[in-house]
Amino acid sequence: MVSVFDNPARSAASLIDDRPEEEIFRVNRAAFTDQAIFAREMSEIFEKGWLYLGHESQVPAHGDFIATRIGTHPVFVMRGGDGNVRCFYDACTHRGSKLTGRTSGNATTLTCRYHGWCFNADGVCTLVRGGKEAYRGGDLDRMSTDLREIAGLGSYKGFLFGCLDADVPPLDDFLGGAKPFIDLMADQAPDGLEVLRGESRYMMEANWKLQTENSTDGYHVATVHRNFATTVAYRETLSPDGDGGMAKTEASRILSLEKIGSGGYDVGNGHMINWADRGNPEAGPLWPQRDELLQRFSEGKVKWMLERGRTVTLFPNLLFNDVASTCIRVWRPIDVNLTEIETWCIAPRGEAPEARRARIRKYEDFFFPASLAVPDDVRAMEGVQTGSDALDDGWNDLALGRKTLVYGADEAARELEVTPLNSNPGREVETPFFAFWREWAARLG
Amino acid sequence: MVSTEQATDLLSREALLLDQKMWEDWLHLYAEDAVYWAPAMVGDEDWTDDPDNDVSLIYMDRAGLEARIFRIEGGDSYATDPLPHTSHMVTNVLVHGEIDGLANVTAAWSVRSYQRVRGAITRGGLYEYGVRETADGLRIARKKIFIHDDRIVGPIDIYNI
Ligand code: FES
Ligand SMILES: [Fe+2]
Repeated sequence: MVSVFDNPARSAASLIDDRPEEEIFRVNRAAFTDQAIFAREMSEIFEKGWLYLGHESQVPAHGDFIATRIGTHPVFVMRGGDGNVRCFYDACTHRGSKLTGRTSGNATTLTCRYHGWCFNADGVCTLVRGGKEAYRGGDLDRMSTDLREIAGLGSYKGFLFGCLDADVPPLDDFLGGAKPFIDLMADQAPDGLEVLRGESRYMMEANWKLQTENSTDGYHVATVHRNFATTVAYRETLSPDGDGGMAKTEASRILSLEKIGSGGYDVGNGHMINWADRGNPEAGPLWPQRDELLQRFSEGKVKWMLERGRTVTLFPNLLFNDVASTCIRVWRPIDVNLTEIETWCIAPRGEAPEARRARIRKYEDFFFPASLAVPDDVRAMEGVQTGSDALDDGWNDLALGRKTLVYGADEAARELEVTPLNSNPGREVETPFFAFWREWAARLG
Repeated sequence: MVSTEQATDLLSREALLLDQKMWEDWLHLYAEDAVYWAPAMVGDEDWTDDPDNDVSLIYMDRAGLEARIFRIEGGDSYATDPLPHTSHMVTNVLVHGEIDGLANVTAAWSVRSYQRVRGAITRGGLYEYGVRETADGLRIARKKIFIHDDRIVGPIDIYNI
């Protein structure tokens, strides 16, 4: 037996056993536990690709900002006086003090708390305390005192992505095959979407990639969330028609899998889709908009919007979830076995009050550490983290769904006029994971 | 008018029943029309204040509370099995007159919860109650829980806030 104490440094490629001709795909559990791999992920994935920052509705006015991180780098997104949104490294150009003291807020002037230099919302250094004459001529120019923007900032239908490396494909290309699925959420209202007030931030003592897998894992739903379904069904017997039926959740789809259509896609670039027919689509908060949507979009697209619950997991750490309610989830690695997770409820602007209320209640039911579902997911992922240490040569064999894998589009994909790299009928499949792990291995080299 | 002593007794009793996992007796302290509300944070200093338009961490009626008990007792929730041992510390109980016919009671809380997998977790915050006097004694018609910890470690549920 090989001891964990004398493991040589492993390459990412050695942790993925991908033999397409033999139809075998395995991931070594060291991918979740190896500190050296984690360090490479920071430099090769989080410093060299597009990462989700936030939604434009979170910074509507001049001076509005949200502070976040890309990998280990603190950054903030800010709406300038010229109306443009920018993303800056969150560090004073004088001697590096973090500029934002809060997670979000408004400041048309950012004043560094250390020595008092000031910057406007466009990132221009407007004041050097003591005056520019305190410095020798030329010294301040050499320092380049204006805030440093990150290499790239892109917006797709209001969703903001940033990247620290200029040498990456455009955001549009990166999102690629996931775009039609993002559109199913983004196109729901003529005026676009808005992120609702109310934050949720929680810690998971597990590797960040377990959340990436879990977000698109249809196989755990009927086990981990069985108690969600039974609990909500029980609650509905106690107050049968709360909110005129709109509050009714979709617990049925969790348990009665054989009766509903479902599936999973690899849409390229590491993005994964998982979907399942809604048990009672007319209880969805968007259902009242059906006629209006049919005027704007094809029948197939509207069917996908209203009648299919979807999880759209974008490489490497973002989920757009449109099931009973609508959720953005982003998980940021802190250490190999520690992850910070943030969730937001996102909703069409101007929706009717009863639809908004039902959406929020269903969001609270499922997507929080105080909900009836997420705590069980977190515990499950933490259990995997602990168990992954048990065998130093443990392999996860992602064979579930091999039997039914189809290359290209299936019927549901054709209804949306998209062509995934592979499709699989049935939610209880592991084949969409190939997308993530292949991209992961390619990035780590 | 509810006295400070009565209010202290009610809040202490609620804490004890939760710590002893006597869920049905705990639920009995709540009025039929009870609202149980833990708002979410907005930025670093504010909490959401409009449950119809903003997200809350928890916003439940009595059926919601009953459902929580159903989930805990069912043993099917991975996060809830085993349950942590909790000790609720509730203090600074004050009665501030009436709001909408309910005695307005405030208190500070902290809960130490211990479960072997996670170890000890302590969180804290403030409570605001709306308490109704009935022939059967005091009932909680409204409970608002401000949770100060905004990077939440471990699950949050009726037993540990
Ligand atoms: S570090 Fe900001 S003014 Fe000195
Ligand atoms: Fe889950």
